[in-house]
Amino acid sequence: MPQTTLDTILDGRRSQPHQLIEVLQDVQAQNGYISEEAMRAVSKELGVTLLEVYRVASFYKAFSLSPRGKNVITVCTGTACHVRGAKLLINQATAQIGVETGKMSADGLFTIENVNCLGACALGPVVTTNTDYHHHMSPGKMRKLIKSYQKNNKEEAANE
Amino acid sequence: MTEKVSVTIDGAIIRAPKGLSILDAALDHGICIPHLCRVPAISDLGACRLCIVEHIQNGRSKVTTSCTLVVKEGMVIHSNTEKIKRLRRNIAELLVAEAPNSRAVQDVAMRCGVKEVRYPFRNNNCILCGRCVRICTGRLGEKAIGFVGRGMDRRVVAPFDLKSKLCRECGWCSDLCPMTMTPCGGPMHKGQERLCTNCESKQTSLDQMTGYCVACYFGKGFQCERHPERFTGIEE
Repeated sequence: MPQTTLDTILDGRRSQPHQLIEVLQDVQAQNGYISEEAMRAVSKELGVTLLEVYRVASFYKAFSLSPRGKNVITVCTGTACHVRGAKLLINQATAQIGVETGKMSADGLFTIENVNCLGACALGPVVTTNTDYHHHMSPGKMRKLIKSYQKNNKEEAANE
Repeated sequence: MTEKVSVTIDGAIIRAPKGLSILDAALDHGICIPHLCRVPAISDLGACRLCIVEHIQNGRSKVTTSCTLVVKEGMVIHSNTEKIKRLRRNIAELLVAEAPNSRAVQDVAMRCGVKEVRYPFRNNNCILCGRCVRICTGRLGEKAIGFVGRGMDRRVVAPFDLKSKLCRECGWCSDLCPMTMTPCGGPMHKGQERLCTNCESKQTSLDQMTGYCVACYFGKGFQCERHPERFTGIEE
């Protein structure tokens, strides 16, 4: 991670161990994940032992320790969504993108994750892409959704 | 002189100094409550759950770990009721299923009266008792290893699975680990795990000698300070 962005995150928070989670959240928001170097730097600047930083970062599901794709597709696999075929959605997504759940795709565009409940069981199966919620998903809808993201990315690349 | 309070453990009235845990008070007076994760002079975690007791409060009984229960005036504790024995046997059974390759775990299971293991063997190398973590972060004031992850993924590691720069190689973590003593028959490989019953005829189980510390040799693996070759490493 570039030193400048980390500096802006850490500004005014140095040597304040209680700011650990906030700093990690900012790093996560900035980079999409928390790298080993970032953790080492945070540990040094906040005066928290590396173990503590690693422990906190590995404990919360909101923090990712490995790089994540530009678009994070989260499939709910809670009881209600599972019953309504969340497994099919995961199969569709992993096959179409060609990557396991929890890993970043080779082009850096997608990460597929599964969570245990998104709290919208009546609308299941639920899928979120970044911050958008999609209800009553089916493998067909999933295919179109992924296609649309791939198309958007191509257009963006063409415009640049 | 420290203030003392009276507690009743298994019907015996014990005068124990304030701030002591029920487990320590019981052990000091020769009442054996099986335990595994406790190490004298470092903070208690209540991780192994073996030292559970019944705490009678307002006519109701509450099952709780005695190592984290601090003595209070007039407390009534039962450490060997049928209910406690049943629960403790089950906990010991789960521990053996998790890590059969430890003499400490096998011995404590035998002492708790485990006769068969009804759970699939996992054969892990760690029961997450937290002894190594507590000696490292608490007693020695270093932070080289610790619990990482959550739930099923919880494990003891140094950051990034590398050796920590803070580690002074004092070796206390491995000294205190209950996994360092293999069962007498040698390590069990995957698929060969079993409940070790070698000592059954030689040793007293809790069923035969309820509640009394018999200075059993079982303490050797996990350094029970009542063990004849008692563990004297850390003293206040």
